[in-house]
Amino acid sequence: MDIKETQNAPVSSENEVELSSRREFFKKSAALSVTAIAGTSLAATNALAEEKGDPNIVEEVPWGTKLGDPVTKNRYGMPSPYEHNVTRRNAQLLASGNWQASIAMCPIQDLYGILTPNGLFFNRDHGGVAHIDPNRYRLMIHGLVEKPIVLTLDQLKKYPSVSRVHFIECPANGGPEWRGPQFNSIQFAKGMMSCAEWTGVYIKDILKDLGLSPKAKWMLAEGSDNSEMGRTVPIDKVLDDAMLVYGQNGEALRPEQGYPVRLLLPGWEGNLCVKWLKRLEFGEEPFYAKEETAKYTALKPSGKAIQHFYPLEVNSIITSPCPEKPWTDLEDGEWVEIEGLAWSGQGTIEGVDISLDGGVNWQKASLKGLVLPKAWTRFSFMHKFKKGQKLLLSSRAYDDAGRIQPTVKEERSVMGVESVYHRNAVATWEVTAEGKVNNVQVIS
Amino acid sequence: MFKLSHKKIIATSAVAAAVAFAGCLGSNPDASSSSEGSTKYVASHTYDFNGKKVIDGGVYYPVVDGKRGPYYVNEQASRIAYNKGREALPVEIKAWDVDVMYNGPFPKGHGTVGEGEEIYEEKCVACHGDFGSGAANIGIYPALSKGNAYELHETLKNQRLNPDDDGPIRVFGSYWPYPSTAWWYIKTGMPHPHPKSLTNNEVYALVAYMLSINELKVDGEVVEDEDFELNQDNFGKIEMPNVNGFIPNLNGPNGTDNIRKLLNTPHEYGAKTLADGRCMHDCLKEVKVQHITIEQKNFLPPLSEVRDLPKEENGGGAEAKAKATYEASCAMCHDSGAADAPIIGNKAQWAKYIKEGMDTVYKKGIEGVGAMPPKGGTTLSDAEFKSVVDYIVGKSK
Repeated sequence: MDIKETQNAPVSSENEVELSSRREFFKKSAALSVTAIAGTSLAATNALAEEKGDPNIVEEVPWGTKLGDPVTKNRYGMPSPYEHNVTRRNAQLLASGNWQASIAMCPIQDLYGILTPNGLFFNRDHGGVAHIDPNRYRLMIHGLVEKPIVLTLDQLKKYPSVSRVHFIECPANGGPEWRGPQFNSIQFAKGMMSCAEWTGVYIKDILKDLGLSPKAKWMLAEGSDNSEMGRTVPIDKVLDDAMLVYGQNGEALRPEQGYPVRLLLPGWEGNLCVKWLKRLEFGEEPFYAKEETAKYTALKPSGKAIQHFYPLEVNSIITSPCPEKPWTDLEDGEWVEIEGLAWSGQGTIEGVDISLDGGVNWQKASLKGLVLPKAWTRFSFMHKFKKGQKLLLSSRAYDDAGRIQPTVKEERSVMGVESVYHRNAVATWEVTAEGKVNNVQVIS
Repeated sequence: MFKLSHKKIIATSAVAAAVAFAGCLGSNPDASSSSEGSTKYVASHTYDFNGKKVIDGGVYYPVVDGKRGPYYVNEQASRIAYNKGREALPVEIKAWDVDVMYNGPFPKGHGTVGEGEEIYEEKCVACHGDFGSGAANIGIYPALSKGNAYELHETLKNQRLNPDDDGPIRVFGSYWPYPSTAWWYIKTGMPHPHPKSLTNNEVYALVAYMLSINELKVDGEVVEDEDFELNQDNFGKIEMPNVNGFIPNLNGPNGTDNIRKLLNTPHEYGAKTLADGRCMHDCLKEVKVQHITIEQKNFLPPLSEVRDLPKEENGGGAEAKAKATYEASCAMCHDSGAADAPIIGNKAQWAKYIKEGMDTVYKKGIEGVGAMPPKGGTTLSDAEFKSVVDYIVGKSK
């Protein structure tokens, strides 16, 4: 592999002028329109010539020559039917026996910006999606408090609200690949996460009315679903930024996200953010719920397992290109944006480095858009595509907590290959001579 | 853009130092981490509210000048007493507070191994397999036992570095630290299709059975007799081999400080800091690439980046819809025969059901049969469900 020749070319104004020349532009837009009308108007494609022009421009299009839908048609709007392949996806390998105790992966290759549409948000359940009647919803807060209370949904919403953009990630994201890559797909390799703006109430704002005992060290959060999913949370996080959320990207939480109320612990394992929340109990000792010992513990080569492994460490993935979004349609010399997502559960992304040679040499990428704590952050790097050139594309993020992603070798040297959870080693895509993109790992 | 007060710069010195002195093995990174694309908010490694290090080893964003990190806050809002809701009644707390703590007290009740085996054969075996060995056909429902717990405990040091290596065996007996977790989970989450349906005595009986198939000891004696009774008095004497297998120790007054210490020691869990280096050039001597060997690609639906109209809109019809429902909700068991489900397309297996008449087949499916919950756990109408049954039967006769 000619990894020594992959150094990014410096930006040249000459190249840019050449690329944006009229002729090039016409050729490109013509090629694009060919793709758009493929299958419906093959004859038009063949006849496409400079003197005739693009039929999508010089001829009338159907949607412009008749009335569209009335505004009364979709009371709740839906995506264009042409986008029907942008969906959550499942794999039997990632289910615990049925599709109820299972996970639906987010199509992160098809998302824009940092907010995940609610219908595409990844979904992990332990006993299926519960459907709660909000009028019968009750939240109990009890244990080591002077005044145990019961709140209805309306009463909870009377506390002052807080809105925050945070990702939620399953700590098993990337977990099937400790021993090596298995999925030639970003959706399956890294799709156990999404990011949304959440609206709710700080738990500390409720607690101050209740007389929390100084003895309280732990909070049990328990769901009312089939599995009564429960987790124990240390009091520090409860008094910092823990929220009870009922809003997701401006609307009510979706059932898959715990409608009407879920716990949100910004930056921490998704399973700790208990959905369909029914009960918060404060205690002196941890509760040892099923999903904090049987699962979500990281076994080290010593035979000891880390329990209560809360924060998702700094991480990143290149979303374009990726196996689903290859570079097979690029022309030699074309400038292309390498784009991706970085995130840290321990703070705010400070920067991202890009390597074209599998981690031998690194260059600083640009961050772009909003850069928020414990939220997805976009990064961007311009690359001049060279036809036939093989690349090993990697990204490496670092955060304001002073953490940076380890290499695969560094992470395996401490955690071995059996820990399942919290894999945040540098990820690598192999770009082949044909522009195809494969999931690989650099293990040196 | 986000100005730091001098005081806060000192408070965040750990981060700043890590960034500023991030030497690396090859060469220095560019010094742009605080200029171009500046994202720094006021962040601290120490909580204001208890003066201790941030418990997860990351940073905390205190409210400074009306802002928390990038977010404006209404500081008055957090000073007002709201007192919403009403006091929880003792009878309500009793109804919901059913968790079982590792150190007791344990719920009142009792049950024997023999009683547990009967319940297990009736309600659990379809998914968890004979003697808790896991579902026979696909093995993805959790196994409850793989043999003697004390012997299997030794496997926790195993690492599958080569394809033929044995991995660590993480089942109830060999891995779980406390049996209280099993009792609590069975009581509230099992049987999977009908949770919260077992009495305390039934749960004790099932845990007793789990002790026997894992060959676990209670008060020094291996549980093997089917008359062995587990109850609230001897439950605390179950000897779990992996009780000390988890780090850090969370029990007792230092529990939260122990986790704070671990998570603030990144090298304990494979994390890396900027102080370890942010190498920019000649970072690796060689590039060794591991490719996919066994590719997983049984995806539902199959991957596609095509933008076109969905097939249903082109007149896919009822059968296409039934097929899609089958794949989403039924294939898990009926493709593989998991949980003793008759396999789609297996004419011999289906013949005996079809012989009973379609009304019976519909009825069994709608009401649930064997390990299958009513309508296979779907929320389909009767008519929709029947069309899926028709699809399966159509493929199987």
